[in-house]
Amino acid sequence: MNKKQKNITELICAVVSILTFLILWHIGVKGELGRLMPGPLPVIRMFFATLFGGTIGSRTMIIHILYSLIRVMAGYFLGAAVGVVLGLSMGWSRLVEAVFSPLFRIIRPIPPIAWIPISIIWIGLGEDAKIFLIFLASFCYVTLNAWSGAKNVDPDYLRAARMLGAGKRQLLFTIVLPASIPSIFAGLQVALSSCWATVLAAEMVRSSEGLGWIIIAGMNNNDMVQIMTGILAIGLVGMLLSMIFRKVEARLCQWNKSGS
Amino acid sequence: MEIREKENRQVKVKVSHLTKKFGDLLVLNDISFDVEKGDLLCVVGPTGCGKTTFLNSLTKIYDVTSGEILLDGHPADPKKDHIAYIFQGNSTMPWLTVEQNVAFGLDIRHVPKREKQELTDRYLEIVGLTKYRRYYPKQLSASMLQRVSIARAFATEPELLLMDEPYGQLDIELRFKLEDELVRLWEMTGTTVIFITHNIEEAVYLGEHIMVLTNKPTTVKETMRNPLPRPRDIAAPEFVRLRERVTDLIRWW
Amino acid sequence: MSVEQKRKLITCTNIDKSFKVPEGIHQVVSDFSLEARENEFICLFGPGQCGKTTLINLIAGFELPDQGSILVAGKPVTSPGPERGVVFQNISLFPWLTVMGNVEYGLKMAGVPKKERQERAQKYIDLVGLQGFEHAYPVKLSGGMRQRVGIARAYCIEPKVMLMDEPFGALDAQTRYLMQEELQRIWQTEKRTVIFVTNNIEEAIYLADRIIVLSNCPATVKKEYVIGLPRPRQYTSPEFLALRKEIQQ
Repeated sequence: MNKKQKNITELICAVVSILTFLILWHIGVKGELGRLMPGPLPVIRMFFATLFGGTIGSRTMIIHILYSLIRVMAGYFLGAAVGVVLGLSMGWSRLVEAVFSPLFRIIRPIPPIAWIPISIIWIGLGEDAKIFLIFLASFCYVTLNAWSGAKNVDPDYLRAARMLGAGKRQLLFTIVLPASIPSIFAGLQVALSSCWATVLAAEMVRSSEGLGWIIIAGMNNNDMVQIMTGILAIGLVGMLLSMIFRKVEARLCQWNKSGS
Repeated sequence: MEIREKENRQVKVKVSHLTKKFGDLLVLNDISFDVEKGDLLCVVGPTGCGKTTFLNSLTKIYDVTSGEILLDGHPADPKKDHIAYIFQGNSTMPWLTVEQNVAFGLDIRHVPKREKQELTDRYLEIVGLTKYRRYYPKQLSASMLQRVSIARAFATEPELLLMDEPYGQLDIELRFKLEDELVRLWEMTGTTVIFITHNIEEAVYLGEHIMVLTNKPTTVKETMRNPLPRPRDIAAPEFVRLRERVTDLIRWW
Repeated sequence: MSVEQKRKLITCTNIDKSFKVPEGIHQVVSDFSLEARENEFICLFGPGQCGKTTLINLIAGFELPDQGSILVAGKPVTSPGPERGVVFQNISLFPWLTVMGNVEYGLKMAGVPKKERQERAQKYIDLVGLQGFEHAYPVKLSGGMRQRVGIARAYCIEPKVMLMDEPFGALDAQTRYLMQEELQRIWQTEKRTVIFVTNNIEEAIYLADRIIVLSNCPATVKKEYVIGLPRPRQYTSPEFLALRKEIQQ
């Protein structure tokens, strides 16, 4: 089977599996269940109706999505930047590792949403608090992966580079950093889904816009269609993000893919 | 001796018109050969000549595009027929002891306990690992691990044993040792062996027959009988002559 | 100029080296001495896993001896240095750099301007026969090609001494013959003092001016053979086979 045929087969399978799911859903809510659960059609209709034109609350769907996305991105990149620097330093320097690793080991197992009450008491649950929570979610995973990436650099790379005359700083930037990139990316990927979960939780606790708010507002109004529309949007945006992520990774880690 | 000669003429494996394509890419092109019962056939070919595809087709890991592989006259079926493999590198199970590794193939075949123990003991003894029966693979050297694999394969008393470059990564001294051991086991058991290698010297040292493959698309270039008496001497003029002849057939470098 | 008149480039005197292991102290090199002259090709041959790589690591300066001294070009070895290029057993190319990136790495670290270093790297890429693959990443190359890059990378810093630690150990038998012929050609074009570790006797006889036979664990000099056969050598010539038998004993 050549590549083209394979892609077509995969596409057909994807379409069939999604369609089957929608049809089952459609049939499933025909009876008693229909009172608790809307069918797929009203949900899809509402999604597209509110996407640019109509509103949920006072805003269109796209604005809600943007609100959530911007919160995620701000915290995510901040956390990633700090995480990469801290993680690499911990992997590179015994001293930095000795200082930070005990602290880090305690903070790491605490899920970001556990901080929500504290944030509310300290700084309310405004934008900065939400971004802080997302920062935590991203920071922990990225640090951990950058750290293990830097610690597990193949010692032969380091020996080869030293043989070729690389100094300490050069080793860090030309060997440890690139060699850690696959591991860092694995961390970034987990961090992204963790951030996405955190923003929804934060929005569900307190906010007046965003995808988390759509779901909570739907619950308060007993509007099942709105809840399901929110969930659909979350799924789609999440999928889109991870697709973009994989494209970026494939670009940056070209050397890591064999395939002929 | 005469009986053995007669037995030898019985065809164990018959491959006819074996062809394998990946899409439009022709990898194996119309390969036909016979392996006699109790033969030790060495297959050599240039690097990248599709030896792996050849082996995988032979073991039906791949579906062949066309052609037939007959074992004792019926189509070979790895699920029913008893074919054992030994690959390059370590294929022992790290969580089993040496003894359990050797018994592994017997467990799968539901050999009764008593018989299993006997066979395991016997083959551990033959490859000289009785002392190490309670060791785990991690505690052994590369050549000892390869011996475990060999004992495991022979213990199941297969109808056909396929070896794919099993000694490729060992140093010469160990390689010679294990080659001699293989010849001894083969002579003792009369197992039919197909031995695939890159190493021409090894092929000439081991093979009763030598089959030379061409570059892709792979066909059989020549099959020859190796009449040299055993034990063979790699520096003997006849040995060198045969080695050079095979080299000339293969040489791409 | 005969070998005797050429100057000594490497002098190892009475080296001992041991490592701490859970069971105690494991001696891997014992009382090892070696002198290598300019442009001499020396093979360290020995069976088993132990000691040979450590010797390369010691001369390369990755490790320091417990006892004894190592001088390269008259200076004691305390760390890796640009007069010693190393070709590794597992090749260890930087997978995130292209062939060109790998070969020019040493010059880049030394601050050589881009244009000059790429010209010099190109020279060595051509020397090992990889023109056309400058922009390929290592994952796309076969084992033999990767080791060509490894050789070019070490050559490119223009060291006086090349240290090769079983560079062809992971290749199949035929590719190995090819690489032996290639290495001989490269060495004859760009002469260097080479210390070449191998456990393959054919390889040693094919390449070496001098073979040092090492004992296994701890490594120490057992015997020494000067190989006078004219190059290129024939693997199946009677003299070659006779030497092989003699050394194998």
